[in-house]
Amino acid sequence: MQVTFKDVTLSYDGKREILKHLNFVIQEGTLVCLLGPSGGGKSTTLNLISGLLAPTAGHIFFGDKDVTKEDALARKVGMVFQNYALYPHLSVQKNIEFPLKMAGLSRGDRAKKAKELAALVHVDDQLDKKPGELSGGQQQRVAIARALAKEPSILLLDEPLSNLDARLRIEMREEIRRIQRETGVTTVFVTHDQDEAMHISDKIMVLHDGHIQQYSTPTTLYADPENLFVAQFIGEPVINSVPASALSHDLAGVVPADILSQAQTAGIRPEALTLPQRALNPLTTLHGKVVEFDQFGRESTAKLDYNNLQLISTEMGQLSHDTKELDFTLEKKGFFLFDANGKRIFGGDDHAE
Amino acid sequence: MKKVASVLRYLILTLGAIIMILPFFWMLSTSLKTQPETIQLPPVWIPKSLQWGNYVEAFKAAPFGRYFVNSVIVTVVTTIGQLFTSILAAFAFSKLRFWGRNLLFMIFLGTMMIPGEMLIIPNFVTLSNMHLVNTYGALILPWLASFFTVFTLRQTFNSVSDQTYYAAKIDGASDWKFLWHILVPMSKSTITAVTVLQVIGSWNSFMWPLIVTNDENMRTLPVGLQAFTTDAGTNFALLMAASTFVIIPMVVVYIFLQKYIIAGISNSGLKG
Repeated sequence: MQVTFKDVTLSYDGKREILKHLNFVIQEGTLVCLLGPSGGGKSTTLNLISGLLAPTAGHIFFGDKDVTKEDALARKVGMVFQNYALYPHLSVQKNIEFPLKMAGLSRGDRAKKAKELAALVHVDDQLDKKPGELSGGQQQRVAIARALAKEPSILLLDEPLSNLDARLRIEMREEIRRIQRETGVTTVFVTHDQDEAMHISDKIMVLHDGHIQQYSTPTTLYADPENLFVAQFIGEPVINSVPASALSHDLAGVVPADILSQAQTAGIRPEALTLPQRALNPLTTLHGKVVEFDQFGRESTAKLDYNNLQLISTEMGQLSHDTKELDFTLEKKGFFLFDANGKRIFGGDDHAE
Repeated sequence: MKKVASVLRYLILTLGAIIMILPFFWMLSTSLKTQPETIQLPPVWIPKSLQWGNYVEAFKAAPFGRYFVNSVIVTVVTTIGQLFTSILAAFAFSKLRFWGRNLLFMIFLGTMMIPGEMLIIPNFVTLSNMHLVNTYGALILPWLASFFTVFTLRQTFNSVSDQTYYAAKIDGASDWKFLWHILVPMSKSTITAVTVLQVIGSWNSFMWPLIVTNDENMRTLPVGLQAFTTDAGTNFALLMAASTFVIIPMVVVYIFLQKYIIAGISNSGLKG
């Protein structure tokens, strides 16, 4: 089901607006992540989609239908909560059957459907157990099966992986992606983990301060951040952000003067600082000192000192560790300039605007 | 040192156990004594010959069959009624959002500070205006709501996360269905505990049934025990024999359900 928000505003107390004039469309059959720091409005947006919350102003559409005034049941959403919210006194099978029981399906139909779903999420050998006897990952699977039981118009997941350990998170996010592809259900996934969002989404909506900072594919989000917040929030290691003035000498003649004069902050992805012999599309050459090398498994980072500013690069692995001073290349790809409001004015896809 | 502490601990616990058991032992022992033995000094701990006949005589002394039926009716109806109203109220206080919820809860909480004895006269006046004295109505009506039960259940319902409530709503459950399909089964141990406490309280209740009934046919078991106290004095042997068969059902209930009682009281943070 396609979900459309038109000018949706939410305020709990009538004074402070939690969400401000939200406009977006979630395409049918896609998996969209709502990403952002805590308190940014992700879960609130999810609850507005679910119908557990009603907007103060604006309209919400499922397909062509205005569902603003409808509750969660009428909207036919399926939801998975952070703590799974399984019913502890019911077996796995009865948990999955519960929405079907409420919908008035016969016992036989319920059992058949529950078994199908259990097989889909790979818990078909746990049907008689109580949730308390299952591991976190298995509980998660049961919660997804229960949410899918009534063939929801849309599947909502509220930080579903945050209670799992690191390895299981990766396994489960792949599972969620698989299940979403197999069922084709439109899915909205809330997370504060950019890595998670980058891996499973068709599109990511970055929410901060009640606004949509950017809503695009993971690749675009990384390569063409629309503002400084997105550039800093997405990417690991974090983008180098330095005052643009520190680079103005080296950028003169490379970046148009009118842009350079407006620029407040420069954002440099760690992979945009590379050795001259490996450069692909160099913007300019900088000179600096190596402060420190760090090796993490197959990844390595170098801390560089440029004009007394510290920059991190991930492309200096080949450099001998006793290197002190060097020339290094600033690549065009992965270099951005932002104005005083944080809006991107240089770098990325220049044709985007 | 550790050993001394351990011995001391057991000594105190043993003493406590003896203090708890002593009245019951005294009741059983007295119920099997002859009349003179009951008031003999120094006290007789074990009767010389066991007077089993006391039980037969005690049972015949008053219509205990009728009293038993009355006690069962009053206990069952008050317990079920009180549980029903308390579950609904506790659900409202725990999961529904309505204007004045906290204020109302505080007012109800305040009523717990009024001693029960103070309510006897107003309740009696009300019920006699309703012409309910000497009926089951009088025995049952005042006990159909209990804020203690509401409070205990609310604490338990609060421990069920709001996410579970929302999950059930999304699954298509109305408030009513969520309450009976999810919340009540999840709170089984506390509900069992308050049920048992209510059954025992109701079964043993003495003052209220004594006041609102004077018809022989409407009396409950504890009130019926008065039959052994006359102007000429009290027949302790028969009284204790009758007391024994009056409390036996409750002892059985307690023995089978004690783990729920303990769990329920420790959950609510209240001492019964």
